[in-house]
Amino acid sequence: MSVVSLRGVTKRYGDTTAVDDVSFDLHENRIHGLLGRNGAGKSTVMRMLTGQDLPTSGQIRVVGENPFENAGVLRQVCFIKEAQKYPDIFLARHALKSAEMIFPNWDAEFAEQLVDEFRLPLKTRTKKLSRGQLSAVGVIVGLASRAPVTLFDEPYLGLDAVARQLFYDHLLADYAEHPRTVVLSTHLIDEVADMIEHVVVIDRGRIVMNDSADNLRSQAVTVSGPTKAVERFAAGHTVLHREDVGGYARLLVSGIPEGRDTTSLQVEPVSLQQLVVRTAQLSDSALAGAANGKGELS
Amino acid sequence: MNRIIHVARIQLVNAKMVIGFPLFILLFVLAANIVLFLAAPFPEPEQGSSPTGALMSIYIATMILHVQTMTQMFPYALGMSITRRDFLAAAGLVVVGQALLYGVALSVLRLIETATNGWGVGVAMFDLPFLEVSNPVMQVLVYAGPFLLLSFAGLWAGVVYQRWGQLGVWILSLSLAALLIGAAALVGWRNWWPQVGSFFADTPTPVLLFVYPVVLAAVFAGSTYFTTRRATA
Repeated sequence: MSVVSLRGVTKRYGDTTAVDDVSFDLHENRIHGLLGRNGAGKSTVMRMLTGQDLPTSGQIRVVGENPFENAGVLRQVCFIKEAQKYPDIFLARHALKSAEMIFPNWDAEFAEQLVDEFRLPLKTRTKKLSRGQLSAVGVIVGLASRAPVTLFDEPYLGLDAVARQLFYDHLLADYAEHPRTVVLSTHLIDEVADMIEHVVVIDRGRIVMNDSADNLRSQAVTVSGPTKAVERFAAGHTVLHREDVGGYARLLVSGIPEGRDTTSLQVEPVSLQQLVVRTAQLSDSALAGAANGKGELS
Repeated sequence: MNRIIHVARIQLVNAKMVIGFPLFILLFVLAANIVLFLAAPFPEPEQGSSPTGALMSIYIATMILHVQTMTQMFPYALGMSITRRDFLAAAGLVVVGQALLYGVALSVLRLIETATNGWGVGVAMFDLPFLEVSNPVMQVLVYAGPFLLLSFAGLWAGVVYQRWGQLGVWILSLSLAALLIGAAALVGWRNWWPQVGSFFADTPTPVLLFVYPVVLAAVFAGSTYFTTRRATA
């Protein structure tokens, strides 16, 4: 079931089009990866989903309603963003206390446990918290709020590797017990690849990929071998990336049906990160009109 | 209504600062005044105590506090899934409650001041001649009126900054200054100063310090509402 839907959503700021005619759905009780480069439009999409900004045109529905100024809908939405600022008068504990008052499903015990594990000093002014500690506040709020729609926009700037793993572990464990719709927007794709069930890739304000992670992984492969054999194998499919060494070629190909004959070729699975990076590059070069050789769309 | 009280409680999550800070400033200024009067006694006036303008401190502190309500608390609340409308209604509730609370506090301080002959040193911080009214309720309202005016003005200035940045605040203050200078020039040119003087002298205190400020506060509240409707964090 679709919990969030965007139809033909466009957002312009003056001359720049941050989001360009975007349509996609977020599904109930699933973890989504909203991926893309800096400035691709991810944050703008999330700001509109959470009623902080209005689209220039198009329709946005969150649990069936327009989220803008809609208290009933927004109560079910928790948006954790890297750039979240806290009032100067807030101590860390005020941030948690106010979140407890805002989100109806707040689990105070869970929050306390997370404060311990992330070693968050509660009596420190938010102004004086380190970058990593500020991120910890966001992560704790995002997890303990148990909002039916939870969005994390680059939530872990400054968090060390241990704390990040802590976040992933808790997210997965809590998600298993209390399923909800989660959106993870991040550049560290490899780190979250195993959690993500559905991938939406946005580039220059447009959706360039929107599919389940399993589908994407099974359809895309890296093939290497003698150039001729590799090209025969890839004929009729989208080549996302190509490397040539002597008479050998190595191609990242998507859209391969299962059970293809692969004798004399070496076929390897592709990581989600590789797939996303190459797709974004391809859409870039296609837009720049420089698609010669690198990414022939067939 | 329940939801709005809820949001107001979130704005007051650090009530010690929101409510306590202006009071702290006031008591600090009062203490400083007492020390000053002890150190260098002013010549005693014929009757009563020497008035000071130190009461202004709590009004200014409250105004600054509510500029920050819009520049800091508002973007935070918006980021935390609170609607603009609920936030503003709650801010209005906080402002009104705070104004009444301070009105009561100042009235009590005034009683103490008169009972102690100006804190024992003949300083008049609360018992000012133009604040004379006949009954205690009116006394509270006369103290509260300017709080309402300045707090809502602060909210509006805050959201102007939030939407249009420093440039917006500059344009706003310059237009306001131009308006005041223009009005002063007009009054001077038409030789209206005596009338202006008698307006302030003749208007009864409750009207001057409660009715007019409340009307202006309502104008600022409306401006804040319309400026905030499309403001983003």
